[in-house]
This record gives sequence, structure tokens and C-alpha cells, in this order.
Amino acid sequence: MARRALVFAALVAALLVGVVCSLAFGAVKVPISEVIDIIFGQGGSATDVQIVETLRLPRTVEAMLVGAALGVAGAILQGALGNPLASPDVIGVTGGAGFGAILIIIVLPGSIALLPLTALAFGLLAAATVFAFAWSGRNRGSVGKVVLAGIAVLSLFTAGTTGLLAAFPERAPSAIFFIAGGLTSSGWRDLETVWPYFAVGFLVALFLIRPLDRLALGDDVAASLGSRPQVIRLGAGIAAALLAAASAAIAGLLGFLGLVVPHVVRMAGGTSSHAYVVPASAIGGAALLAGADTLARTLRAPIEMPVGPFMVILGVPLFLWLLRKAV
Amino acid sequence: MRKLLSLALLLVALCLPATSQAAAPKRVVALTPFSANTLAKLGVTPVAIGQTLGGAERFSPKLKKATVLPLSHPNGPNLEQLASLDPDLVFSSQTWAKGNEAMEELGMDVVVQDPRSIAGAYADTFEIGTIMGRKHYARDLLQQMRKQVEAAEAGIKKRPKVMLILGVGRTPFTFLPNSWGGDIVTKAGGKLLTGGVSSGSGFERISDEVVVAENPDIIIAVPHANEDDIPSLTEYLRSNPAWSSTSASRNGRIHISVDNSLLQAGTDIARTIRKVRSAYLKN
Repeated sequence: MARRALVFAALVAALLVGVVCSLAFGAVKVPISEVIDIIFGQGGSATDVQIVETLRLPRTVEAMLVGAALGVAGAILQGALGNPLASPDVIGVTGGAGFGAILIIIVLPGSIALLPLTALAFGLLAAATVFAFAWSGRNRGSVGKVVLAGIAVLSLFTAGTTGLLAAFPERAPSAIFFIAGGLTSSGWRDLETVWPYFAVGFLVALFLIRPLDRLALGDDVAASLGSRPQVIRLGAGIAAALLAAASAAIAGLLGFLGLVVPHVVRMAGGTSSHAYVVPASAIGGAALLAGADTLARTLRAPIEMPVGPFMVILGVPLFLWLLRKAV
Repeated sequence: MRKLLSLALLLVALCLPATSQAAAPKRVVALTPFSANTLAKLGVTPVAIGQTLGGAERFSPKLKKATVLPLSHPNGPNLEQLASLDPDLVFSSQTWAKGNEAMEELGMDVVVQDPRSIAGAYADTFEIGTIMGRKHYARDLLQQMRKQVEAAEAGIKKRPKVMLILGVGRTPFTFLPNSWGGDIVTKAGGKLLTGGVSSGSGFERISDEVVVAENPDIIIAVPHANEDDIPSLTEYLRSNPAWSSTSASRNGRIHISVDNSLLQAGTDIARTIRKVRSAYLKN
């Protein structure tokens, strides 16, 4: 218990550091005292107010939300499928969202305002296709069927994306940032579109915490305790699809986070209890993305780099260190 | 003896152009609009020209009879289709690097040209003329191009701050001075905003914080889109919260350029400069 509390405290501290750095540092130097004044409505120059209020604040909130959403999506999928390799990629969401976004960027650039909604819609369509196949025929809802259907649908959408990039090579640079994953400075606009999907996803994930712990004992034990394993898996899949598709709509493809963060918090806390893993993954994911995004936009400022590689640089050493200790 | 020597030198001089003309390749494929249009201006009709899917390249009417080769990654043209044309020489681009190697393996001579400045376009024009044995035509063409460009640059009254962006979406790239579009805008009298960034590629994704701080008077976007998309794209960019406080957004000076004239080198350099000045910079 003390170990879990310690990990929680460390994660909260990391999140606070990430948020403060995200607000304080950027391509334009704004004194920290002025950043604080601006956040508390105490003034600042017009340009600095614009930079902090319109660019950094929404981006920091997006980093926290997307990081938390992907962490939770990975945690509940790994729990529901009993598979350590499960992540939003496995239910096709990432592939679908990627295809939707690239379709807009490359084929329908005039409809660019619809990018978040299209990425979201295709992400959910891909997940729905996986669920439709996995929950039909024999062994419906079995882990193997979900994973195989997910891999098939992911391959389908990935092929579509690759085909579009190959067909329109001169337009490919516009798509690179989305594929590599990265937050942008679009103010509150994207969040206004997708926040309901985050809200529903987080709420469903919250209600799944206890059922997932029962499912961890095995399908037969969970069923004898009154739970319905297939319904729990479907619920977890839907919640993960909502969270991951909404995340992709805002920040592109950041599948790594959903895979690794739940493992890191599990190994660090020494428990697989979802009452601990789900909130810890949310905080850990938020901290990791806020920190990585700050690095991505300040390391070679004013050049902005995709956040995906920085997340890997920050996350993998910690993951490997914990893995070595665990094994 | 002196007369004999002079006669011999004269004979050599007379033979040289004939030799170089005989060595000029006959079956030429031009994969870039720049090389295709330059060849047309030099009086050479390539057997084929390249065309990207959805591309908005402007080709000379003289190239109507040339076979059109669709281009796609990673090779550029379909290599079987290209080989069936039996070309001696292919003018290609670095974009098709993988294809260029394969073309050389198929026995074709490949010349890679990607002019990213007006000076580079002049140099490449002369190189094409030299390779095709039409050096003197190339010299005349260059002289004509230089005069036209000087005329297009004349009388600049204002030098507004310009941000030139590539692509659409939430992560556009900024043209740097060492890009074709960057050089054109600078020659047209614009002060190119880059946040002090330099890059070998000529493009970089710069922070929106720098855009807010540097406050461009004009933003020109090159989005790979169609004419029909201009109103929706203009509205999208104008409502971008990151740019809404800039002079460009407040004064309705966000423009969309849907052709490729700012993206890749063309032969109508003076025309492009005049268009940038009259349609966007208004200087």
C-alpha cells in the first residue's frame, strides 16, 4: 500500500513538473512571473497573453487529456483482453483514425476543418468493425478473436493510408506530423469538438474498474461472481475506442503511450489491481505527454518536432529498467 | 605554315558543334515540369513528361504530343512503362531517388535537377541547354529570363512581412529562404518570416508562438488543393486561434495559392513574381 502511495505521489509530482514546464517554456521567452500573472488574470503584454492563453494553456490541457486517455485506454484493454501487448492499435482505432485524417489531408484538403471529426469517425468505425467480427460466430468475444480481428482491420486501414501516401507523394509532408503524433496550437477548437467522447470514455472506464478486477481472476470465476466477461470486454473495447479515437483526433497517432504506461505503473506499484492501475495510468500518461510535448517544442525551438519520438525517449529507458527489475 | 594551322583550327571549330549536336540525346524524358518546359523553350520535344496524381503543373502547349507518365512513390514513373519508351536521358528529381537508381541500372542516363532558387533555375536551364547541344539557345533564353525577372522586380514600393506556408492542417511547414517559394517571395519584395530558422530542406515546422510574436502582414498558404477549396481553406486559416491576432488575419490578408508556382521551380519566373506582387503583396 505504501509503495502504491509512493508511486502515486511520484506520478502526481511528475505531472505537476510537466504542466509547469509546458506552461513556462516555449519558442518565445515569456518570464515565469509573467506566465503566472497571465494565468491568474493579472495582465501581461498583449502578445504574451495571446501566447500563454491561446497557445500554451490549451495545448497543456490537451497533453494532459490525451495522455490520460491513452494511458486509461491501454490499461483497460490490457485488463479486458488479458494480453500484455494490448493497446488501442489492437482494436484498430489507431489505423482507422490515421486513415481518416490522411484522407482529409491528402485527398480533401479543402475540408481540413473536419479532420478531428473524420479521424474520430474512422477510428470508431475501425473499432466497430473489429467488434462486429469478434462478437459474431463461434467463440464470440474471445480474446483470440478480438486480437485477430483487430490486427486484420488495422492492416486494412494501414494499407489504405500507405496507398494514399504513395499515390500523392508531393502531399505526404503535410501528413507526416499526424502520423508521427504531435500536439498543435489550435486553441480550444479541437477540444470543443471531441470532449464528449473523452467524457463518456473516462466514465465507462471508471465503471469498469471493479468488473476488470473480477475478469482478471479468469472468465469462469468472473462469471460465477455474477459478471459477464463478454460484456465487460465489449464495454472496455468501446471505452478504449472512444478515448483512443478522440486522442488521435487531437494529437495524431501516439500508440506507444497506451502500450507502455500501464506496464510501467503496474511494475512500479507491484500490483495489477485496476483501482490502482487505471488512475495511475491516467496520471502517468498525462505527465509523460506533457513532458514530451514540452521537449518537442523547446529542444530545437522555434522548430517544432513530432512528440512521438520524445515520448519513446522518455518512456523506454524507464520501462526497460522496470522490466529488468521485474524479470 | 601559319595559314595551314589556322585552317586546321577553323576545321576543328566547325566540327565541334556538329560533334556535340550528334552527341545530344534524342529520346528524352522530363519528369519535372521545370525540365519539360525548359526543353520546350529550347525547341526540344521530350518523348514523355511526368505528371503527379492530382498535380497542378502548368505545361507548355508545345508538350501536348508528349506521352504523360503518371508519377508515384517510390520510383516516380512505372519503370516498365518508362523502359518501353527507350529513353537515352531522363531529367528527374531527388523526389524519385529510388527510381533514379533503377533507371541508371536500366542503362538510361539520369540528370537530377531540383532548382530551389532563381539562380539555381538559371544554372539548370543552361545545363539542360548544354546537355541537349543547344547552348546558344539556352544563353538567349537565360538573357530573356533575366530581363523579364528584372522587369518584374522593378518598382517595389513596400516590403511587407510575409509568412509562406506549405501544406494544410494544423502543422503547416514554413518556407525558408533556401526554398523556391521563399526566393520568389523575397524577390517580389516580401520580408520572409522564418523565426531565424535555417534548414537544408528549405522547409521547417516553426512554432505558432513565433508567428504570433513576429506578426506577419501577409500569410500565403500553398496547400496542394483545388480552386474550389480556396474559400473554405481561407476561412479555416483565418479562424486559426494561433494566428487570429496577426495583422494578416485581422486585415484579411491570408491568401491561398493552389497552383504549384511557389512550390516547385518553373520557367515562368517573372510571371510568378508579378503574380505574387499583384495578388498577394500588393506592392
